[in-house]
Amino acid sequence: MPRTATTRVELLQGTLDMLVLRALLFGPLHGHAIATHIQRTSEDVLRVDHGSLYPALYRLKTRGWITASWEPMPDRNREAKYYRLTAAGKRRLSAEHSKWRQLARAIGLVMEPAR
Amino acid sequence: MRDLRFWRRRNAEDDDLDRELRVHLELATEERLEAGVPLRDAQLAARREFGSVALTKEELRDMRRGAAVERLWQETRYAARRLLRSPAFTAATVLTLALAIGANASIFAVVYRVVLNPLPYGDSERLVALEFSLPVGNVRKIYYIPSRLYFQYLERAHTLDGLALYVATNELTLTGHGSPERIRVSRTTPSLASVLRVTPAIGRWFDSDEAARGASTAVLSYGFWVRRFGQDPNVVGRPITLDGVPTVVVGVMPASFAFPDPRVDVWVAAPFITRTTATDAYTFAAVARLRDGATIAQARSELTRLAVDLDPSYPNNGYKALVSTATALLEATVGSIRVTLWILLASVGVVLLVACANVANLFLVRSEVRQREIAMRRALGAGNRAIAHYFLTESTLLSLAGGAVGLALAWIAIKVLVAFGPAVGPWWANVPRLHEVRLDAVVCTIAVALSLAAALAFGSIPLVRFTSVVESLHESRSTASRSRHRTRHLLMAGQIALALVLLVASGLTLRSFQRLRAVDPGFDAASALTFRIGLPRIDYPEPGRMAAAHRAIIDRVSALSGVAAVSASTCLPLSEQQLCQGGPLFIEGRSLPPGVIAPFVAIRAVDGGYFETMRMRVISGRGIERGDVEREEPIVVVNQALVNAAFPGQDPIGKRVRFGNPSLSRTAPEWLTVAGVVGNTPTFGLAEPAPFPQLYMPIFRSRRVNMAPRLDAMSYVVRTKVAPQSLADAVRRAVGEVDANLALAQVQTLQDILERSAAQMAFTMVLLAIAASVSLLLGIVGIYGAMSYIVSQRTGEIGIRLALGANPGSVARMIVRQGGVVGLAGAAVGLAAAFAGGRLIQSLLYGVSPHEPSVLAGTTALLLTVVLLACWLPARRAARLSPLDALRTE
Repeated sequence: MPRTATTRVELLQGTLDMLVLRALLFGPLHGHAIATHIQRTSEDVLRVDHGSLYPALYRLKTRGWITASWEPMPDRNREAKYYRLTAAGKRRLSAEHSKWRQLARAIGLVMEPAR
Repeated sequence: MRDLRFWRRRNAEDDDLDRELRVHLELATEERLEAGVPLRDAQLAARREFGSVALTKEELRDMRRGAAVERLWQETRYAARRLLRSPAFTAATVLTLALAIGANASIFAVVYRVVLNPLPYGDSERLVALEFSLPVGNVRKIYYIPSRLYFQYLERAHTLDGLALYVATNELTLTGHGSPERIRVSRTTPSLASVLRVTPAIGRWFDSDEAARGASTAVLSYGFWVRRFGQDPNVVGRPITLDGVPTVVVGVMPASFAFPDPRVDVWVAAPFITRTTATDAYTFAAVARLRDGATIAQARSELTRLAVDLDPSYPNNGYKALVSTATALLEATVGSIRVTLWILLASVGVVLLVACANVANLFLVRSEVRQREIAMRRALGAGNRAIAHYFLTESTLLSLAGGAVGLALAWIAIKVLVAFGPAVGPWWANVPRLHEVRLDAVVCTIAVALSLAAALAFGSIPLVRFTSVVESLHESRSTASRSRHRTRHLLMAGQIALALVLLVASGLTLRSFQRLRAVDPGFDAASALTFRIGLPRIDYPEPGRMAAAHRAIIDRVSALSGVAAVSASTCLPLSEQQLCQGGPLFIEGRSLPPGVIAPFVAIRAVDGGYFETMRMRVISGRGIERGDVEREEPIVVVNQALVNAAFPGQDPIGKRVRFGNPSLSRTAPEWLTVAGVVGNTPTFGLAEPAPFPQLYMPIFRSRRVNMAPRLDAMSYVVRTKVAPQSLADAVRRAVGEVDANLALAQVQTLQDILERSAAQMAFTMVLLAIAASVSLLLGIVGIYGAMSYIVSQRTGEIGIRLALGANPGSVARMIVRQGGVVGLAGAAVGLAAAFAGGRLIQSLLYGVSPHEPSVLAGTTALLLTVVLLACWLPARRAARLSPLDALRTE
């Protein structure tokens, strides 16, 4: 699958964190699932380099926004490390979200001024 | 241990990450397999999608490390903030630790530099001082060696690899550069530098050719070079005038070189004896280097044998009885002070323990106040590690701050010690090598190690307390501390016991010092000025000229107003040279059986009126008068100790005595008649075990008397009607009128001499007193604090008692009684320890038993009084509470 130009765009600093938190909003996921979730829901536009996901997860964990634990995977005979949003993480996500909304709106206003 | 755990934890985190990434890759591969991709391609795609596994791992590892540092920094900041919120606690802890650590660091610096550090010479552990004992004579230890024996050793001793002679405390007059000055000169053989393996900083040491030719060369000490020559780099080759003799400076020694003591200004080659001019006089000290492989024991037996073999022709010579007690130079230098220093170190160690008890108490109180907070943290999921971190960062911060302040205190204390300590002086009254003491890396390391040990100890106190969460949450204040009071009481009792041990030691040295100062020196030390004048050999070549000069000085000084009497002696009591001159005394009509050695006595030549000027007691017969000196009467006056040694039960007046080994003299030595007996004066120190036999003879200008002391330097005694030091300038002028090139040395009062001879005892006493008072102070503060805390914990109970009608006096008594019981228990333990340890400090004491009841009783009473006072203050406060307020605090 050839990468389109948009996927090559570096995610803005902190954006990956927000996407990860968002991915965890509806329940615990393991690392691979988070990566595929972001990829799928963005219709393959945002492709996370899976390797760079883990430092982000570590960062979120040390800040207390997510917790991690090894749990058995449903309908598979093995365990994976599942990440779960904490209350602080939820607050963080909504803060990030509104900040992002403002930013997107502002950029939109600049790029496409009302005719 | 901690490191290992840390490492294991890191490993666990790495393993966890490995597993997580493996699962990730497996899931990615399986997803593709399910979509029908062949296994190989699926694996490759999964890897490609992931990027570099190694890089990810590395990145995460870095993040973890950074986080650990950041966490530590954060915890430290939080701890500092918490500590600043309780400034009283912080200040009390830091100050207490600083006092204790400072005291330990400074005394350790002294012990390390003086006792443990090798002497600053090459291979210094192979150096020995040649000392002897004379088991059959009346001299216990001889620090000197006759020049005949020196040549014997030089030629025949196989256990020695080099031997040097030196005289430590010669004084010469330096003229030509400004005002004349008496400087301290050490005369040595040229071999000294090679034996000690030292090299001059500038120029060279004198060589044996120069010494043999009698060329006058000098090597300067660093301090003298700085003081007198302003560090002139071209000083080598410059002429100086020593005692009127033109002398060439050939070198400057490094600053660290201070042999045999730090006061030496100049080293000159001894105008040297040869085998034919060697004598039996004990005038030089000797230092030697052991040959490789030779032990001190071998050297001793060889040196003893060579001494016994020296003079087979004469059966009564002293060499037969000499036993070599060659001693490692370090031991010979610091042996007299070592026990004292270790005891001082032990006593500051005790101060540290008392301080630690105090700090432990503070930590106990603090941890109890925060007990519920900690229990809460634990209930919220803080693990043992987090709690441990919490306390350890606090205690580490406090201890390091204490250590830092302590080091600053030690720096000051060492400066004071070095400046005011008895660095120089006769060996029995000084602290050798004090000039080498400084705050160095070793001392700093010890201080830091002490602080860290303290940090660990105090940090763990709260940890052992918080074993159970549930218990802590359940505890209410009134029931909390029953068992805890036991710990507190133990700490109090321990402090009291330790403080008492130090108080006893301090009291004993104080009493020793008093006893030492109460020793009757045999002369009147009040209002007498003394000084020493040396006559340059070039201007005063023979005894007649010397005697005339001394006579002229005495006459001039006598004429000064305020002067009651003046006389002079070749050697004053308690002189730094101690024996000054001594020899075996032969008595007319008494022949010695073979192998028996004549009694060894100290010899002094005095001017007329010496005993009257010194106010020594003339016991029988008469003293030496001016007429005796003018007529050169062949008489002597002896002291009581000499009578006891040589004429037991007899009247010595009229008996005739002489000096010298008849087998060595060309002419028969002259007989001298005993004219009088005077009281004893100390020779080797105030604390000498028995007075030493002394013999006084008049100054002889022309009469040839064997072993008569040389007259080139004499000590003057000026009995004054005014304050003695106020006459110093007038005396200096009077001497200058006789000869402008003469300089006064050792200008001091007889009182100064007495005080100096007790200086080492004073040093010990002062340091022990400081240690004892610091520990007493810390102990009292600790007890007061602990009692106050206990009282505050019992406020509710006290309120109930008061409300039920207890009278305030009985409440106060109850609390004081509780403290008193603890105090008594502590004092009992302390007394037992002081009693058991008494023998350890025996060598520090003079004239006092280590179990002196008055000291034990006095210090115990003092301590208990203060303890009761420290208990009574909080008790009184408790008794004054109104019941209502007391109950309300619950």
